[in-house]
Amino acid sequence: MTATLATTRPKFRWAPYLALASRAMAREATYRFDVFTSIGSVLVRLYLLKMVWSALYAHNATPAELPLHAVITYSAVALLMGLVMDIDQTRALHDRLHDGTIVSDFLKPINVALGFFADGTGEVLFHAVLIVPSLVLALLVVHIDVPPAATLAMFALSFVLGYLVGFWINFILNCTAFWTLEISAVQLIVTWLTDLLGGEIIPLVLFPVVLQKIVFVLPFAAMFSTPLLIYVGVIPPAGWLAAVGVQAVWAVVLAIVAGLMWRAGARRIVAQGG
Amino acid sequence: MAIIEAVDLRKVYRSIVRQPGLAGAVKALFSREFEETVAVDGVSFTLQPGELVGYLGPNGAGKSTTIKMLTGILVPTSGQLRVAGVVPFEQRQANAQNIGVVFGQRSQLYWDLPLRESFELLRAIYDVPADRYRANMKAFAELLDLERFLSTPVRQLSLGERMRGDFAAAMLHDPPIVYLDEPTIGLDVLAKEAIRTFIAEINRERGTTVILTTHDLADVERLARRVILIDEGAVIYDGGLERLREEYGTHRTLVVTLANPDQPLDVQGAEVESREGNVVRLRFERRRTSAEAIIRQVMACCEISDLQLIEPDIDGIVRRIYLEGYQDGAAGTPS
Amino acid sequence: MRSPLARMANVYREYWRINVLTTLEYRENFLIWFLFTFVYHGSALAALWIVLTRFPEMNGWNFKQMAFLYALWMLAHALHNTLFSAVSDVPDHIREGEFDRIMVRPLDALFQAIATPGQVFPDELILAILTFVAACIYSGVHIDLLFVVFVPLIVIGGALIDLALNLAISTAAFWVVRVDAMRWIFVQLEQEFTRYPLSIYSRAVRVVLTFVFPFAFMNYFPATFFLGKPEAALSLPPLVGLLTPVIGVVFVAIAYAFWRFGLDRYQGVGH
Repeated sequence: MTATLATTRPKFRWAPYLALASRAMAREATYRFDVFTSIGSVLVRLYLLKMVWSALYAHNATPAELPLHAVITYSAVALLMGLVMDIDQTRALHDRLHDGTIVSDFLKPINVALGFFADGTGEVLFHAVLIVPSLVLALLVVHIDVPPAATLAMFALSFVLGYLVGFWINFILNCTAFWTLEISAVQLIVTWLTDLLGGEIIPLVLFPVVLQKIVFVLPFAAMFSTPLLIYVGVIPPAGWLAAVGVQAVWAVVLAIVAGLMWRAGARRIVAQGG
Repeated sequence: MAIIEAVDLRKVYRSIVRQPGLAGAVKALFSREFEETVAVDGVSFTLQPGELVGYLGPNGAGKSTTIKMLTGILVPTSGQLRVAGVVPFEQRQANAQNIGVVFGQRSQLYWDLPLRESFELLRAIYDVPADRYRANMKAFAELLDLERFLSTPVRQLSLGERMRGDFAAAMLHDPPIVYLDEPTIGLDVLAKEAIRTFIAEINRERGTTVILTTHDLADVERLARRVILIDEGAVIYDGGLERLREEYGTHRTLVVTLANPDQPLDVQGAEVESREGNVVRLRFERRRTSAEAIIRQVMACCEISDLQLIEPDIDGIVRRIYLEGYQDGAAGTPS
Repeated sequence: MRSPLARMANVYREYWRINVLTTLEYRENFLIWFLFTFVYHGSALAALWIVLTRFPEMNGWNFKQMAFLYALWMLAHALHNTLFSAVSDVPDHIREGEFDRIMVRPLDALFQAIATPGQVFPDELILAILTFVAACIYSGVHIDLLFVVFVPLIVIGGALIDLALNLAISTAAFWVVRVDAMRWIFVQLEQEFTRYPLSIYSRAVRVVLTFVFPFAFMNYFPATFFLGKPEAALSLPPLVGLLTPVIGVVFVAIAYAFWRFGLDRYQGVGH
């Protein structure tokens, strides 16, 4: 039987991407010790943040906009968000650029970028499953507030947008590996900065006023601060549209930049052969 | 006085049973099953100082496990073992001072620095006296042609150069015993020859006992006079290379190129090993049928354009033993 | 033939010589990793500063004192990273089958693990020393003979406490294989818990951080002593802060016993 040439654009198949995601999840699950250690560390962290904020609020003036239970809720929910947001979903892209195996990815009959996304999604989904027991712990151990349904819904939307902003930032950073090789330190630096400046560690509204003017303008605020401030009610329903709007704008802008970088980088690979 | 004595070595592994797929992986988070594997099942042999032995076996036969026990990395489940008067796993450091090891797949040299620096550190680790160090460096520089790349970072060396560096590193402290694990893997013909010459040289000149584990049977043919074959954890042959060849290399192969590819061919006393296009390989036992008889039959029935008679080589012999099992005495009939 | 101790000293000296050579070989990396170290510690201090600007006092500790607290921890931690970071690589060696090479050499296995050459950048240690000096000045801590004699001992003791943790986690690799996540979590928790005065935690946690994972000895107890604070949690006298070197040695001994146990198992079971 002679082989037939593929002359038309092949039909899009879901199967290879689902397989990649599923394999990524299985890979994460094999590290059994890590799963229990992760949940254990969430518990410890929840306890820590409760103790720290309680101690801070005990002897000092309480901020009007953020009473103790609100700031504890804020930090706990930030912790849960961090479980999925701290994962660099397209890390495989950087790794394979670094050791040169990226070339074999371009030889496969699947969309390369989508393939990385699928692989990273598997890892993210597995970690997302950790959120459920962590959420239970957060409710029981530190008694986080549960806002009304409308607020929760808006939080969910804002969270998704914030996740996208983070995803594109990571993707852009990973793409720089097309041009320079030693960027892992740069990535770590950016990660650290985004955590602080994005409001994951300390609510941005508690920053000195002078610094607040800066951090609210950066895209990092869109990752953590916006959804969290919606959740604890510091951003009232009247301000939801504007807040989410800013996130959406960042997501779009970063997506465009990412797309351009990917195109340029992929062209470079194909031209140079890896 | 034997330098290596192994008596009834046994090694049993307990490993986790892995279930396939996503469901299996999640299940494994909560419960685990174990299974037992017998890797080495009663291996015994004795080596005299200065012997050069080929230790052969298919993958998974128990070769690496045996070597790990000899080098002190692994504790046997049962059995006795003495290497240069020391029980390896009981006196790890003393045993380590007596041995040199070359892992063909893994270098012991320090990647980022010139070759010379690796030797300096090893000199400190093995506490090599200054005069021995100088003498060995000089000898190896000649034998292995090291001068050229002594100052080159190891990561920039070719495989052949790096392997030569690894050999020098293994011999630096004058060990009475060396273990060579796949020493010529991936090397080109010239580099292989250089390594083989070096091994033969240190064995002859210094009386170093050498245990050679390899899949390249040309190494064995060139260097070893004695081979130990291991399969499924047990020694199936321990003796001279010549005897192996004589007793087991009893088959020969006649390669016939037919004029007509579709010509039917039926020959008494020989089996058709393979048939590709007009090339037919016929295998026969030389103790049962003579080559002459086979050739006569072939020429009688068919038109042929070429004939070739191939003697058994070690590769074929060993391959056959792995596939069919070894029978002492007269070799088994082809199945 | 040298005595074993002389041999190890000789190897250790060679190890450092090769470290320096290797580090110089990769000196382009230095700047970028220095930047990372700067951001890592800088953002921790910045977070502390931001919080303490808004909430000036924490159980009797102000920002100046907490800066000293952090700097003391940072110094011990940096010393450990400079001297003993190779121990963190042991799990990778085991996984990749390179640990066998250590087993086949005539030196103690742990010593070899510590003395494995690699890139050892001095950036964190230099930064830590500078930060500590700055913190001493900034916090106005009383510097006398006792201070000058004991602080180096305490820093070494703190580095040993870190080594004990590092070694214990690496030993776990004989069973668990992948310990990176666990190590990362422990280091992060160590950094986060030591940032704040021990007194803010419940009694149970204070006991754990004093007697089980003695991070409190790395900086809290010594800082309580040198800053002249009345009492160090758990009704212990501040003098306890001078015991850090002893604690370090004890815990390393415990971790070493665990390491020997793991090594025996490795030889019995293979990998």
